[in-house]
Amino acid sequence: MHEGAIAQSILDILKQVAEDNGMARITRVRLKIGKLSGVMIDALMFALDALKYEEGLISDALFEVTETQIRARCALCNTEYTFDDATDMVLLCRQCHMPLEVTAGREMEIIDVEGE
Amino acid sequence: MKRVVVERKILQRNDEAADIIRKRLAEKGIFALNFMSSPGAGKTSVIEKTINALKNSFRISFIDGDLETDRDAERIRKLGVDVVQINTSGACHLDANMVLKALDKLSLECDLLIIENVGNLVCPASFDVGADKNIVILSVPEGDDKVKKYPVMFNVADVVLINKTDLYGLLEFDREKVISEIREIKPDAEIFEVSCKTSAGFDAWLEYLRGIVPKEIL
Repeated sequence: MHEGAIAQSILDILKQVAEDNGMARITRVRLKIGKLSGVMIDALMFALDALKYEEGLISDALFEVTETQIRARCALCNTEYTFDDATDMVLLCRQCHMPLEVTAGREMEIIDVEGE
Repeated sequence: MKRVVVERKILQRNDEAADIIRKRLAEKGIFALNFMSSPGAGKTSVIEKTINALKNSFRISFIDGDLETDRDAERIRKLGVDVVQINTSGACHLDANMVLKALDKLSLECDLLIIENVGNLVCPASFDVGADKNIVILSVPEGDDKVKKYPVMFNVADVVLINKTDLYGLLEFDREKVISEIREIKPDAEIFEVSCKTSAGFDAWLEYLRGIVPKEIL
């Protein structure tokens, strides 16, 4: 379960953000996680919950996740494809049979943070 | 109440460390391979056989990532190459910071650096370790349903080695289905079908490596 390591990385960034902005408590964190990132949202939430017990800074924080779809584009004909799930993903253009370029879905980002 | 726009990659520190690795290896002219697979797919056996075949052509170093023990590192050390063991003590993957620390323990007087990741078909896929090529091994006994079950791993593969092909025919394994599913998830991945037991397919794999590893002792 590498979501533990991901949660730890989130906490490291949050500590930095809190220090830079004079926050003693973080109340809300918005995350963007792509469906091709390899992160299981439930496992990440579980890992973040475990960290809440250890870190007063985030003990009351609400973590909100926006999942992003997988998008890919054909460099030849410019057709855009969207896949709901990595398992359904076919990265070949139906018209040109060329490999598609993945343009979204690998995201693992902290969008913004609220605190006081 | 204050709202701060962060817009930062969660794994930014890992990615920065991976960039440092790439830079250090490039300065030394070292080409790096990152081997990933589930436990028991044959990473160490493939690496052993590959090093044996190439050790007279290239100077090779090896970084072994394992939860516990240095058994794999010992196997490879016997081949006479520079070896560093990383025990992740519980972590299910290597990250770039671990590899960066391991680099300091190697002489780095080599042409080819082989990294054996922790046996796991999920977690290592999310962490860039600064290698030039990701090599993913799928072995026949694991079954022919693995590509679609672990799409993130196969999507990061530059090369897929289908290993233990001596078991084709003995086990239910639809090789055409596997190859076509790899093509769907990573159309430009190189695919080699190999057997450590019979050596079948190794010539093509080794020829590919000789073609991509830049420096060769004459």
